[in-house]
Amino acid sequence: MVQSVQSVVIVGGGTAGWLTAGIIAARHHSRMKAGFSVTLIESPDIKIIGVGEGTWPTLRSSLEKIGVSETELFRQSDAAFKQGAKFARWTTGADDDAYYHPLMLPQGFTQINLVPHWLQDGHGRSFCDSVCPQGRLCDDGLAPKTITTPEYKAVANYAYHLDAGKFAPFLQKHCTTMLGVRHVLADVLTVNQHESGDIVSLTTRQAGEIAGDLFIDCSGFGALLLGKTLGVGFKDCSDVLFCDTALAVQLPYETPDAPMASQTLSTAQSAGWIWDIGLPTRRGIGYVYSSRHTSEEAAHQTLMQYIGPTSQELRVRKIPIRPGYRETFWKNNCVAVGLAAGFLEPLESSAIVLVELSAKLISEQMPANREVMDIVAARFNDVTHYRWGRIIDFLKLHYVLTQRTDTAFWRDNLDPQSIPERLKHLLHLWKYQSPWFFDEFDRLEEVFPAASYQYVLYGMGFRTEVGPMDNADSEPMAYRLMQENVTMTRQMCAQLPKNRDLIRKIHDYGMQPI
Amino acid sequence: MTNIVPLNSETHRSLRVYAGASARYGDNQRFAQVVVGEFPQLVVHYPILLSKDADTGAFFCGAMLGFDRNENLFLTEGKGHEGYRPLNLQRMPFYAAGADLAIDLDHPRVGAESGQALFTASGQPTMYLESIMQAFRDLKPGMEMTKLFIATLLQHKLIEPIDISASFDDGTKRNLADLYTINQDVLRDLPDPVVLDLFRRGYLRLIYLMIASLKQIGELATKKNALARGGETLSARMG
Repeated sequence: MVQSVQSVVIVGGGTAGWLTAGIIAARHHSRMKAGFSVTLIESPDIKIIGVGEGTWPTLRSSLEKIGVSETELFRQSDAAFKQGAKFARWTTGADDDAYYHPLMLPQGFTQINLVPHWLQDGHGRSFCDSVCPQGRLCDDGLAPKTITTPEYKAVANYAYHLDAGKFAPFLQKHCTTMLGVRHVLADVLTVNQHESGDIVSLTTRQAGEIAGDLFIDCSGFGALLLGKTLGVGFKDCSDVLFCDTALAVQLPYETPDAPMASQTLSTAQSAGWIWDIGLPTRRGIGYVYSSRHTSEEAAHQTLMQYIGPTSQELRVRKIPIRPGYRETFWKNNCVAVGLAAGFLEPLESSAIVLVELSAKLISEQMPANREVMDIVAARFNDVTHYRWGRIIDFLKLHYVLTQRTDTAFWRDNLDPQSIPERLKHLLHLWKYQSPWFFDEFDRLEEVFPAASYQYVLYGMGFRTEVGPMDNADSEPMAYRLMQENVTMTRQMCAQLPKNRDLIRKIHDYGMQPI
Repeated sequence: MTNIVPLNSETHRSLRVYAGASARYGDNQRFAQVVVGEFPQLVVHYPILLSKDADTGAFFCGAMLGFDRNENLFLTEGKGHEGYRPLNLQRMPFYAAGADLAIDLDHPRVGAESGQALFTASGQPTMYLESIMQAFRDLKPGMEMTKLFIATLLQHKLIEPIDISASFDDGTKRNLADLYTINQDVLRDLPDPVVLDLFRRGYLRLIYLMIASLKQIGELATKKNALARGGETLSARMG
């Protein structure tokens, strides 16, 4: 008899666990009357890691589909707007060295590639400022929408900065009260397997035995099911991405109405980089560094130097990072999502978007029965491997474009041995043609689209050759689009409120659903 | 600027306030806020729509009186307001201050020579002031009732944006955004118990008044055309 997949069991109650539970439960809600169930088992005393405070705009549609109110997200998760990332001191290390990777696409992106036009004549403007208004909005401290813009809709594309420690409980409440997710607070004692290796059930200390058809491992770095039980190995990537430790602090604002940035600020240091994320009540700051290139003491000093004099009592948390991912993500009837699948430095906020994409893929391709599960698993593994590879390439891109040679960390990053083959080929190709559509990384639901590569490449001073007549045909259109960008930038700057003012209004009045 | 003070029969005994409808005195509103109690009077003249408060994002009901900023097509200088004049225009320059009335002393209506007295020589409210007090007796609970009505519409996802585009005879076009109306598809699909509840609370009638009022959008465009034509013939004649 074919064993149908009716019972999904998720282990782990962090962001990955609850987001996955929400995405699956919302998608399959109508089946619950026919016996489909989603159970989430969470240990009563494991703390949420919660480093990932940056997200991608995909989270907006994920949360809208789950059915949560965006107003409540702001009120309950200490959420703020994120309009992209600003990278300081990555190219030359000088004081004025900075560029934006915004979330808006370049003007007319689906019709025309503006890169060669900008390369030919940028009128002294940065690539970002030539093709989209968002860098200016960030510089001016403006919000990406107004109080009359409906929930989840944008004037300028945006994602969120949020407090992961509040985000998981927020999702939990919605999942359990609105989406019928069963929440079990219990410690897993043993994982019971069939002789085929399939997981049959979990024996827990507080809630007895919990059986399931599909198990989702969201147990964090430990990878209780996929790693410990099913023995799937870990592919270490520290030969490509050197950072392996983070020192994190939370810094309350000096005054409650202090301006709040809507961009993640990433400032390169001698052996890594410092993130600086503005939430309504505090800034989250952390130094991600390579322990092979600096000591913890020196890193601590660098972090304190960045923060500067403060009256606040700071508690520094040390978080080890093991860059890499599982050799297989879905084995037997078990699939890993979140930290259990792998982790990379949070340079481009890839952690939560990868959770969303994985959960969505599992949810949309939910195998009907055990018989076809391996087919879905093979696909899932292909796509997810591809995604991890592209993220690693994209993160490494930030390091290989540097002109810094001031420390061993930056020099070692340019060692050809540390650069993935595929990225080398792309860099070679991009000397002669810029990334756009029809490029290789042009899959449906690509983590980082060609636009992201454009912003980083040309933000960091990369040059692509432009032939004398290459732009002749599209010149008028490019000119018009860049002019439109000037107009749009002016209009948005006049229309949009200050970032903090809008967040205060959202707390006071809420946003409308339409 | 405004200078709002509580109304007092002693200090304001001889104050005069211009009462008539006039563009100069603030009736030149394209979209005037209204309360649900006014819907029956409004529906025969104006589109009744929803818009959002620019400061809070909150929905409010309003009567559409024109297409352009500061355009009220129902005003004729010296002849007042054609049709029903919404309470929120009638009550100017008065405000509610708790149970009492307040007045904006800096409002251009205040102190006008052709104004109406507020109090008799003995300090009793005049007919005019009585009418203002009556307006607030309707407005104050009306605002609360309207808020509840809107919250109910939102709860049942009955509000949808309406794009109003009009082409006029002079070749110009107007595209009005930020206006909302009843979503009739959602209304049709409401479950029976909800429909019954809306009916019992008197909301179904209000909903249908709003739907019926949509016919006035075309009438409003026709009116604007006619006024423009009138202006043209006049200028042609003068030329």
